[in-house]
Amino acid sequence: MVRSVFGRLLTEIGCVLCGVQRRSTHGGVSLRGLSGLKDGEQFDLSLLELLVCPLSKKPLRTIGSRVYLRTAMFLVSLLRYAAETNELINEELGIAYPIIDGIPNMIPQDARLIRKHTDPSPTPTQA
Amino acid sequence: MAASMRLLFRRVIRLSHRNVNVTAAGAPGRPAGCWEPPSCRCFSEAAGDRSTHFGFETVPETEKAKRVYKVFENVAQKYDTMNDAMSLGVHRLWKDTLLHVMHPQRGVRLLDVAGGTGDIAFRFLEYVRFQQERQKRRAARSMQAPSWQDISNNYSTEEEDGAQESRAVVCDINKEMLRVGKQKADGLGISAGLSWVVGDAEELPFDDDQFDIYTIAFGIRNVTHIDQALQEALRVLKPGGRFMCLEFSKVTNPVLARLYDAYSFQMIPVLGEVIAGDWKSYQYLVESIRKFPDQEEFKDMIEDAGFYSVKYSNLTGGVVALHSGFKL
Repeated sequence: MVRSVFGRLLTEIGCVLCGVQRRSTHGGVSLRGLSGLKDGEQFDLSLLELLVCPLSKKPLRTIGSRVYLRTAMFLVSLLRYAAETNELINEELGIAYPIIDGIPNMIPQDARLIRKHTDPSPTPTQA
Repeated sequence: MAASMRLLFRRVIRLSHRNVNVTAAGAPGRPAGCWEPPSCRCFSEAAGDRSTHFGFETVPETEKAKRVYKVFENVAQKYDTMNDAMSLGVHRLWKDTLLHVMHPQRGVRLLDVAGGTGDIAFRFLEYVRFQQERQKRRAARSMQAPSWQDISNNYSTEEEDGAQESRAVVCDINKEMLRVGKQKADGLGISAGLSWVVGDAEELPFDDDQFDIYTIAFGIRNVTHIDQALQEALRVLKPGGRFMCLEFSKVTNPVLARLYDAYSFQMIPVLGEVIAGDWKSYQYLVESIRKFPDQEEFKDMIEDAGFYSVKYSNLTGGVVALHSGFKL
């Protein structure tokens, strides 16, 4: 009799733990814990709609005809997500922003030059 | 154990004695070596390279960002604990007030700059979710006797859609703070509609007209060029978007001001040493509060950047000011 009570207690505790787990994943949380890289990818793909290269956005503000430049610059400032190296690449300027732990690092100084340019990537004070 | 406590106390007393000299120099109304009145930023253009303030120190502008980065890198792990200890938990009320004033609706996009450990973003997502559930409950109550058709419709419409429409992006220049914030989010189980980006407030990696609300809570005084950060805020906001800024400001009541000064300079660095093991960072913190422009001046700065209908309200007698402006 004691054993049956004990058994029931254990299964209840098990249920509570499972229930807690279930509750925490309820609410449309994206699948976590499958793999670290997968998480990083999931975060990135939805973020890509919002992110632009901070450097090539700069000229937009100072130069006159915004509409024309906008369409041209939009293509230029699109970032390409490189799954192999886990970086965000700006083709035009030839720089790559690293993604660490699923968080993209959009600081120009931390970006890697992909190919040697004649002019180095501009620092924020110059831009 | 007792010996180590005694050593700690002795160290604290020694540091506080050293601090007293600094605070004597920094107390308002008493001129001293390099102390400037809190409402003016010191720029020395004589040598050609500009300098700015880092707490009560004068440093070249390029230095400031690095030093601020180091400060927050050091305190990141204990940041939330220290906030609770220093403000006696009142910082939660300030942030809740920000959310209530913001009153976000469904499908709203938030950019939280200098968001660090994500306090504002979490509150935002919870608020929107709570509003949604309340609406749903009201709708359920109004439907007295739903037909089977209605019930099946309710099941088919995704509950999560609303929550995912509203989106919060946390942007901070400091990777450590974001890492701590991400861990917190994982612990709380919040991840839908929440994104983390390392970015500079003076050079945001976002396109124009993207966000409905831009918040910066207790972060703007650490930015080297506040006007640039304000201009970036204007750029990324949609027309009709709202700029909201929580920041420490000037206390209006003189008695409270004296108490606040005493508390800031005597207690806070000590707490910093005891809890986070970092006296200097918290010394910087209280000094940077004194160097930040007051409510009216900051309001003018926001208006200069191009925001309209700029208002501010004092919380806790002026210890914190909530500034708000619209992009029209």
